Amino acid sequence: MKNLGEFEAGDNILSLKWSRDAAKLLVTPSTGDILVAGLEECSVKERFSGHGMGNGSSDWFQGEPVTCGFDGKVRRAGKEWAPGRGMIDRVKSNCDDSLFAVAQNRRLHVFNGANEPLYMIDLPASAADFGWSPTQAGEIATAGAGGACLWRVGEDNPFARFDWGGACLGVEWSADGRWLATADQTPSVHVYDIPRDHPLHIQGFEGKVRTMAFSPDSKRLATAGSPVVTVWPCKGKKGPEGATPIQVDGSESEVLAVAFSPKTGQLATGDGKGTLLVVSFESGQFRRKRTRLTSGIASLAWHPLLPLLAIGHDNGNVMFLSME
Amino acid sequence: MSRIPVTILTGFLGSGKTTLLNRILTEKHGLRIAVIENEFGEVGIDHELVISTDEELFEMNNGCICCTVRGDLIRILGNLMKRRDKFDHILIETTGLADPGPVVQTFFVDDELREKTIVNGVVTLVDAHHIVGQLEQTHEAEEQVAFADVIVLNKCDLVPEENLDALEQRVRGINALATIHRTTRADIDIAKVLEVGGFNLDRAVEVNPHFLDAHGHHHHHHSEIFSVGIEAEGECDGRKLNDWISKLVREQGKDIFRMKGVFAVKNQADRVVFQGVHMLVDAASGGPWAGRPRKNAVVFIGRNLNREALNAGFRMCLA
Repeated sequence: MKNLGEFEAGDNILSLKWSRDAAKLLVTPSTGDILVAGLEECSVKERFSGHGMGNGSSDWFQGEPVTCGFDGKVRRAGKEWAPGRGMIDRVKSNCDDSLFAVAQNRRLHVFNGANEPLYMIDLPASAADFGWSPTQAGEIATAGAGGACLWRVGEDNPFARFDWGGACLGVEWSADGRWLATADQTPSVHVYDIPRDHPLHIQGFEGKVRTMAFSPDSKRLATAGSPVVTVWPCKGKKGPEGATPIQVDGSESEVLAVAFSPKTGQLATGDGKGTLLVVSFESGQFRRKRTRLTSGIASLAWHPLLPLLAIGHDNGNVMFLSME
Repeated sequence: MSRIPVTILTGFLGSGKTTLLNRILTEKHGLRIAVIENEFGEVGIDHELVISTDEELFEMNNGCICCTVRGDLIRILGNLMKRRDKFDHILIETTGLADPGPVVQTFFVDDELREKTIVNGVVTLVDAHHIVGQLEQTHEAEEQVAFADVIVLNKCDLVPEENLDALEQRVRGINALATIHRTTRADIDIAKVLEVGGFNLDRAVEVNPHFLDAHGHHHHHHSEIFSVGIEAEGECDGRKLNDWISKLVREQGKDIFRMKGVFAVKNQADRVVFQGVHMLVDAASGGPWAGRPRKNAVVFIGRNLNREALNAGFRMCLA
């Protein structure tokens, strides 16, 4: 591993997002300016105003950062929207970069970047999280009290509902669009096999699952919340059902971030004390490389094309680590 | 790492919550206080330290009221706890019609919030001019009074002095534990709102189950919600006490809003203090008796409590 460079972003790093052309990294700290860093210089190139009491997770949309926050505002390319009253804690763009969305209380606002919200979807419950389908540009999953729903932009009612009565905090799609996973308020995960319309409830976690990620080939789901990361096999007809997961230990405290490399398929995990694990999988076995960094790891983002990892720390430091 | 204190501010529509919040946000008290407001029906507070959100109830266990928490608070507070520039205090305003239960339960149930925050107490604003009608017409007003550690009897200028004592006794009949302050235009020392310690077992020095008797109140109003105080000399059997409280909250937790107790347990030199909300109970050592007589005192606040059964149940726990 080689440290290619680092810089300060001022506060706990809430999210890191590589641009679609893989040249720039969007860095969102919990408070203060939202930054764009260049890969070549490994330093800050642009700054965008933060959102007062707290920023929400930002994303890229048509080459520009789109930001949001506790002030209830959404900004992109000099434009600002305040779609309603109430905080906004994330913005996400869709798979073909034609739309982005924010969730505000019980409403999902969908934008095309030019005008006021293009569509509004009234949700059955506030969206704790949402995620665009990786394969269908107009489909989106929302998760919150009661379970998860699938929506088509422009339609008033969900085309699929996964009601199980409990509460979901996070949602992740597999890259092939087959699996939808929700992390729940109780220590459990729901995984839905969308083509088979088959739900699976995975329990037995030590604590609430705080972060999860699918591998780029959609064959693994990593879930974390305790110092142990559990990696579920998602291939075959049944996926994780009845399968034995891989338990990756070696972290010193709760794992707060997990990410798979699109380039190498390696899994990176980061805990609250600064332990970074880089895990390689080979025919049912795994090897892990352990590195202790100087402060807690809050966010991780693999470069889309290179074996390079961006690490966001809880003290505001952002580091570029090459795995070559 | 010290935990950030959280105060829950509740009260019926028009009781003066917004006036009190504005006072807290603008007075020079030297504290950085973040406010999470939910009062969408009223005029919002435009201030840089205010976060607006919608109440988002998470039912964690088949609709059980005791397992219902506030999802929006979990997300907002989770984010606030991560920021470098921490707050001295967090104040959560509930809507006028809200049941404070899920707000309080959120801090017991979510591991992350338990680790990083501490519920300081529930402060309920009461409109002295309208409270009698509200208590008779709605469950919410009664429940908000029942949950309180501090009751701010506001708008006292609109009620004749001689009626205020009776009003206070009516409120005291519902909640024998809360401290009551009389105010006009929510003009109250901020410390009395922020430094409550209602859920802090370290501060559970005294529980006075005779408060009702001392005020000569005997439930003339037939309220469904009232307090039951029990006091007994002697020592408890720890195991019996634990079994009794467990059974009680399992069977009647839905109807018990708050409970607090100080016990003398056999073979334990220190006081044992406990407090609870619905089915969630917390107990700890309360430090030495320091010359006070070793005796037991407990107060339950709830709906349709069976005073005789509670007394009998507790006496079975005596060693």
